Amino acid sequence: MRWFQLLLIIACAVVVAFLLLPLVALFLRVSPGDLIAALGSGVALDALIVTLKTSAIAHLLILGFGTPAAYLLATKRWRGHSATVALIELPLVLPPVVAGIALLSVFGRLGLLGETMDVLGISISFTQAAVVLAVVFVASPFFVRQAIVAFEGVDTGLLEAARTLRASPWRVFSRVALPLAARGLATGSALAFVRGLGEFGATIIFAGSFRGVTQTLPLAIYGELDQDFEAAIAISVLLVLISAALLTAIRWVPSWNPFTLTSR
Amino acid sequence: MTKLAVLVAMLAVTGGCGRDGADAGSRPLTVFAASSLTEVFPELEPRARYQFAGSDDLALQLREGAGADVLAAASLNYSAELHDEGVVGQPVVFATNRLVLAVPEDNPGGIRSVDDLSAPDVRLVIGAEGVPVGDYTRQVLDNLDATAVLESVVSEEEDVKAIVSKIALGEADAGFVYATDVRSAEEDILSIELPAEAQPTVEYTIAVVSESERKTEAQAFIDLVLSDEGVEALEAAGFGTP
Repeated sequence: MRWFQLLLIIACAVVVAFLLLPLVALFLRVSPGDLIAALGSGVALDALIVTLKTSAIAHLLILGFGTPAAYLLATKRWRGHSATVALIELPLVLPPVVAGIALLSVFGRLGLLGETMDVLGISISFTQAAVVLAVVFVASPFFVRQAIVAFEGVDTGLLEAARTLRASPWRVFSRVALPLAARGLATGSALAFVRGLGEFGATIIFAGSFRGVTQTLPLAIYGELDQDFEAAIAISVLLVLISAALLTAIRWVPSWNPFTLTSR
Repeated sequence: MTKLAVLVAMLAVTGGCGRDGADAGSRPLTVFAASSLTEVFPELEPRARYQFAGSDDLALQLREGAGADVLAAASLNYSAELHDEGVVGQPVVFATNRLVLAVPEDNPGGIRSVDDLSAPDVRLVIGAEGVPVGDYTRQVLDNLDATAVLESVVSEEEDVKAIVSKIALGEADAGFVYATDVRSAEEDILSIELPAEAQPTVEYTIAVVSESERKTEAQAFIDLVLSDEGVEALEAAGFGTP
């Protein structure tokens, strides 16, 4: 069976090399000095602020609505349950351009809700609200999907036990289900956040690109590509570093809850 | 919904990698051309393979070694720079264009001239700096002594087609685009002429890519563009010819 082991190792090496080589090349093209100089430029800093602000708001919305939604989807079954789950996951496989057009056809001036919002004096396109909506649309499935799995992984016996001890549904959720699912929820949360940071296609179509308002890091990279290639690479490196740091951090989060260990 | 269809079609055309040539086996002639030529070149020479994008993106791709045979750019500067760097041969001017102020068909902002753009709540979309249409726009506003209207800008796009689609969809109240772009989306867009004295010199240049392995065919393509047939196709699309 030695040949099989060898095959696995070769395949693994190819996968790692293919995925990492472009990133390594990115780092090789920019010296640390250039990186710092480019990041000191206003464009990168403005884009970083816009990205962090919109991502933070989007993330609060994702967690606030996504967690209870996932809990319901994980604990109850109804007609059309699996269809609902499938539809929630649809944005995962949708090309971002389609997401942008879809958002426009709801919230745009000529969209489904456009006229109603016009009457109310609300206009979303070209604002940070549009960036937030785009991020929520493309990133929330990453969280909800993971959260459903996390809640489903909670030992139902423990939930039953809590109920027989007359814990209210809220208490069962907040004191038992939530802590037990915490690790899975944190992973989903990090994935959604990182996906949101990189959002490009839906944003550029739905929110446009304006420095300091709607120009996020990926849009700034695209904008700088023809202006200042070094700066574009530097911002790319910044984005890669932030994403890598978040993904690594989530692996190191200790399973702080003793139940997670005993329930496995 | 027809407007959405227009947008989808535009994205498909500008984002796609063009059409394949007729003869199998050999790679078709590859032409990198400015987005505004999307409606002209494929009709003139259907057998070539086209990539339409902002001229600045095309220049970047050529510098990075993209395999193209012909470059048709919406600006003299890019071709001149690329020629100095040895990336393309001597560029020739083959068409001219002019800028217009474009508004959605129902003109929600009530825009009639450049002066109206300064009104509050007007959503103006222009090209980013460094994108030819964006630089020309700033030049026009400079000539009109109207740089104050830049205050109304809500988005700076990387490609003229992106400006057109945002106006056609009614998201933006106005934008500066080439006269030829309005012609290709005339159902959804109205154009307002700009004073002739404010017009920049918008020259389209065409050149053979230095690393092309099919220089003869590339030159033949350029000759076709410069021929009477080419001039006719360009003028039918609203371009001026030198």
